[in-house]
Parts: sequence; C-alpha cells; structure tokens
Amino acid sequence: MMYGYAWDTSTPLTFALSILPILGIGLLVTLQAAAVGYAIALVLGLVLALLRRSKIKIISWTVAGFTEFVRDTPLLVQLFFLYYVLPDFGIILPAFMTGALALGLQYSAYTSEVYRAGIDAVPRGQWEAATALNLTRRQTYRDIVVPQMIPRIVPALGNYLVSMLKETPVLSVVTVLDMLGLANMIGERTFEYLVPLSMVGLIFLPMTLICSALIFLVERALPKSGIPLR
Amino acid sequence: MKTMISYGVAVLALAAGIGGAQALTLDEVKSAGYIQAATANEVPYGYMKEDGTAAGIGPDVAIAVLKRMGVNEVNWTVTPFGTLIPGLKARRFAFAAAEQNISPERCKQVAFTEPNSSYGEGLLVKKGNPKKLTTYADIAKDPSLKVAVVSGANNIDFLRAVGVKDDQIVIIQANADAPATVQSRVDAYAATELTVSKLAEGSEAVEQVRPFTDPIVDGKPVRNYGGFAFRLEDKELHDAFNKALVEFRKTEDYQKILTSYGLSAESIKAAAAKNVADLCAGK
Amino acid sequence: MTWTQYLAPLLKGAQVTVMISLASITIGALLAFAAGIARTSSNRIISGIAFVYIVLFRGTPLLVQLFWFYYALPLIGVSFDPITTGIMTLSLLTGAFGAEVVRGALLAVPPTQLEAARALNFSKTYTLWHISMPQAIIEMMPSFGNLAIQNLKDTALVSLISIADLTFQAQSMRNITLDSATVYTLTLLGYFIIALCLMLIVRFIEMKLRRGPAFPRSAHS
Repeated sequence: MMYGYAWDTSTPLTFALSILPILGIGLLVTLQAAAVGYAIALVLGLVLALLRRSKIKIISWTVAGFTEFVRDTPLLVQLFFLYYVLPDFGIILPAFMTGALALGLQYSAYTSEVYRAGIDAVPRGQWEAATALNLTRRQTYRDIVVPQMIPRIVPALGNYLVSMLKETPVLSVVTVLDMLGLANMIGERTFEYLVPLSMVGLIFLPMTLICSALIFLVERALPKSGIPLR
Repeated sequence: MKTMISYGVAVLALAAGIGGAQALTLDEVKSAGYIQAATANEVPYGYMKEDGTAAGIGPDVAIAVLKRMGVNEVNWTVTPFGTLIPGLKARRFAFAAAEQNISPERCKQVAFTEPNSSYGEGLLVKKGNPKKLTTYADIAKDPSLKVAVVSGANNIDFLRAVGVKDDQIVIIQANADAPATVQSRVDAYAATELTVSKLAEGSEAVEQVRPFTDPIVDGKPVRNYGGFAFRLEDKELHDAFNKALVEFRKTEDYQKILTSYGLSAESIKAAAAKNVADLCAGK
Repeated sequence: MTWTQYLAPLLKGAQVTVMISLASITIGALLAFAAGIARTSSNRIISGIAFVYIVLFRGTPLLVQLFWFYYALPLIGVSFDPITTGIMTLSLLTGAFGAEVVRGALLAVPPTQLEAARALNFSKTYTLWHISMPQAIIEMMPSFGNLAIQNLKDTALVSLISIADLTFQAQSMRNITLDSATVYTLTLLGYFIIALCLMLIVRFIEMKLRRGPAFPRSAHS
C-alpha cells in the first residue's frame, strides 16, 4: 500500500496494473525533475558559452576548464557532492531541487558546447556585415546571430533533453521518489522486483521515443534560414 | 591482469552454475573452505570495520557458531539493508547476519534461525529535541514533521501503524546517512534503540530521544527479534547452523558478545524466550 | 584522518573503475560493430534483431537496466555476480550507442566507393572489411571517444549494485569520516584524471589509424 493505492500480487498482470497509479506519481516527479533541470541547463549553458567567448583570458580559460571538468565527471558523484556538501555550508535545498540542480549543472556543460558550436557556425560574413551596418553587439546577437543559431542547435539540444530524461532515475539515490525509487520501494516491500522494474523500463521506452519524435517534428518545422526574434 | 582472468573464470563458473539451483549443503561449504555471508552497515548489529573485517552482534555470533560447525573462514559482503533478502535469494551469499527482525512477511521469503537478539525502537533527533518527540505517534500528530527510515527496514510499518502518513516518510539508503539527514532534512530518524544510541554517541548535532516509548501496534508495545536468514531451499545448512546457534546461546561467550555491544541481560533473556515458529506466525 | 589517508582506498576503487570501464568499452565496441553491421545488412531478421537491441538499450535508463539485471533477473533463475552484471550491462549500453555510430559511419562511405567495388567484382564481405570499414573507422573515432568518456561516467552507477569502485569507496570514506567536501572533490578529480587518460588513448588510436596502411586517402594524394 502506498499513496493510498494497494497492490495485488496475485498474478503478474494484476500486479503490473495495480502499481500503475503509483508509478504514475513517480512519472510526474521524473518529468518535473527533467523540466527544472533542463531549464537550468539551457540558461546556465548559455551563460557559460558567452563567458567562454570573453576577451579576458582568465575568465574564458576558467570557464573552459570548469566546463570540461563537469563534462568528464559522473553525474552521480556531482549529485552526492551537492547533496552532502551544500548543507555543510548552510545551503539546505530539498532533495528534489538538489537533484534538478545536479542535472542542470551537468547538462549545462553539454549545452554550452552546443551554443558555442552554434555561434561559431554562423558564417563570418554575417558578423562582418553586421559591423559594416553599424549594428550594436546587442542588435547583432538578437537580430542576426541568435535567429540563425536556433535551428542549428535544436537537434543537439533536443537529444540532450532525451538523455536527461533517462538520467533522472539517478536522483532516486538521494531520496527523490521518482519512478525508479518507487519501483524499488515496491520491490522491497513485496520482494517482487521483476514486475516493478520491468514496468519502469516499459514506461521509459515509449516516453523517450515520443520525445525524440517530437524533437524531430520541431526540427522539421523550423525554417532553415533562421527564426526572427521580433 | 590477474583480476581480469579470475573474473573471467568466475564468469564461466557462474555461467555453468545458472539454472542449476541446487541447495547449498554444509559439506559443500566445508569442502570450499569458506562461507559467503552478508551484513548491512548498521552499528552494532553488523558492520564493516576500517580494516575490512566484519563485526557486530550478528557477525561475531555467526563467526563463533560457524567455528563450532567446522567452518573457519567467513567472507563478508556489505550490502544495503533492503537488498539483504533479494541478495540472499539471488544466491549472492549463503546467509545474512544483520539481526533482521523476524516478521511473518520475511518468513515467507527466507528461513530464519531462532532469534539471536531482541531490541526495541528508538528515535534520533536534532540536539535538544526541538520538536519534543517521545514516541512514533508524536510524529503522526503533526503532519508537517518528517521522519527518515532505512530502505527495507520494518520501522516504516510501525510508523504507518501509528498513523504517520506516507508523505511524512523519507527513505534513505544507508543507516550512516541518518545523522546528516536528521540535521538538515528531516525531524527524526526511526530505527532500533541500539542503532540510534550508537549514532548519537559522541555527536554534537544529534541525540537519542530519552525517555522513549515503544510504539503500540496491535495493542502491545513493539519488540523486535533479530535472527540469521538462510535461503528456504538450503534446509540442511539452515538446520545445522540453527542447532549450533541454540547450543552456543547457552554459553558464557554468547552472553559476553551481546552485552559488549550494549544489549541488556533482559533483552537477551527475552530473545531466548521466543521461538522462530511463533514469530513467523505473528505471535 | 587526513586527506592523504583517503587516497589508498580511493585508489583501490579507481582500479576497479578502470578495469570495469576498459572491459565494457572493449566488449561494447565488439557489440557495436556486430550490431552496426547487422543493421546495414539486407537480411531483415538480422537487421531487425539489431534494431530491437539498439532501441531497447538506448531508450531505457542505465540505472533501470542495472537494477533489472541485478534484482529482477535472479528472480527467474539467472543470477550473475555484481561485477559481471555491471560489465555486461555497460557493454550492452555502450554497444547500442556505438552501433549507431558504426552504422552512421558505414553509411557515410561515399557510394562511389561501393559502386567501384561492385564493378571490380569484390564480394560484399570483402567490400565491407577492406573498403568501407577502413574509411568508416576514421569517421567513428571522435564519437567513440565521446562514448568512452560516457562509459567511464556510467561506471559510477555500478557502485549502486555493491561493486567497490571509486564511487563506492568514496561513499564508504564519507560514511566513516563525514568529510564530504574533501572526499567527493578527490573522487571527482580521480574521474577527471582517468577521463583525460582515456582521451589521450583515443587520440593515440586515432593518430595511428590515420597513418595506417589501410587508409586510402594517401593513395589519392
């Protein structure tokens, strides 16, 4: 019995169906964690990408080193770090926020690379024309660079969203009750792991496929020449 | 390189052993020269010391009992509490020595020995007990309070039985995470009295709730009885160990081990007074 | 305990991590080639099996796969020890992602090469191994490098099925010393150093391949 839903272990099918509502609650947590984490990754990644282009060597090198460090170290250890070390410094975030922050941090290292590649892919001629037309830096970015960048970076950013969805189960290790956490709890109380764990896998599979399909559709719908922002 | 080869051999040996779920017998153990055992990291019931050897109420008694059976080497694995029974069933070790409470649900999954120890419940709270908790029911009274339990432990059943809601309960993976969790994320940690007293020992930040009243479930205060768990199909091994355990319980060495870990003489008598058949039936 | 005393147990864990990573990268690479080639096969059944394998392992989370193989599978009688389970799961995952890389690189071989091979009456197998593969392998290397790093990071999850790798040792150390900041910082540095070594190895292999005799571009220069 969990969250008010009792389960029926008489046959695998009844077991599977009876834990569906419980796993559904976990699915909500999974989606929320991915949403918050992704938002953090998008914003933080952009900040990191822009800082990396700074003319001040110290800033660009530090950011480059930091980004590489976060990219090449495991999410699990970063998560443990945030979960156990932050309280030592007085920052006590709820487990969910800690998890979302860890996801956002790790993926910001990836998204910053995507942004960088996207900015670099805008042809030099565009930058030169903007200078020739006396556009300010802000106008250049807003009206010329970013609109052309967006269609190019959507595929990569979309893939990272799908990856992040698949990494959310790691949060169950720091008490976040996502689908995997709940499945493990059910397994521990009933000693039947096969059904709960298989269900989690079977829910993730169509979810990632649908997500990938949606991203593909978005990709196709975007005009190749760029999206005007005004 | 050597480890890779030995793992390769182990893989082949295991592959050869899949599907043949034969029971493990005492003779097999004796000819192998060692037995594989597991404990969860919970002081004082069973834990791994820094040098890699296991100690605690469960391991110490198990090692002594096995010596009497002629098995001198015990290989210990430390595994999260909630994975003791699944791991046992998956043949990852021969028995579990974590003083798990003998409950009817667990008896359906594994074969317990006669009880080895008995213990009551406890609560770990922040220093000064700011929420003034004295028993599990106090947590139920205030829905804003949060309590942590270790994954797989049956304290969660007692909490639920006295009215604590599911969203007040936080599940942590390891007993050792408890002090940090109590300090910053929950108001209390529910575990056995000895576990809590060991965690609170020498801590500036957390303390054991004293006085503490055991939760009342089904009309009587909860009392746990810890035992060793074997696979249901390893009947011969289980019976041999059980016999040796019952013999060992009559000795002075047994008393010495248990009292050295903080168990009182009454709790030792209480453990001896119960038998596993009654406990599995829920009496 | 001073921080230098953390190093010995962490080093022991790092050894296990490296061993598991190298083993699963190697087996994963073999699986990747097998599945990637199978996907380009004209035999529908072989291609289909490879497709199912790839979709299954790319579409589900690694942690779910690990727990499934470790907790669920034994319930139907098939049980491996933790290290085997870990290496097996990681290999299957790396293989599934690698298969797409292999397939993509094989498809990127210019069609003119394949036409020329047909004109010269080379068998399909000969074409695959002597014409397509050498050109495809260079294409694959950067992606394989990324997969190798990803594999290293994924090994951290095996600590959750009781394998005493670097993360597991870090958790033990933290439980004993409660010095989270130092322990985890050292652990992160450990992974970073191993990652840098992995990248160097991949770069080295890439260089060797570029200068190898099978590399056809030198014939046209």
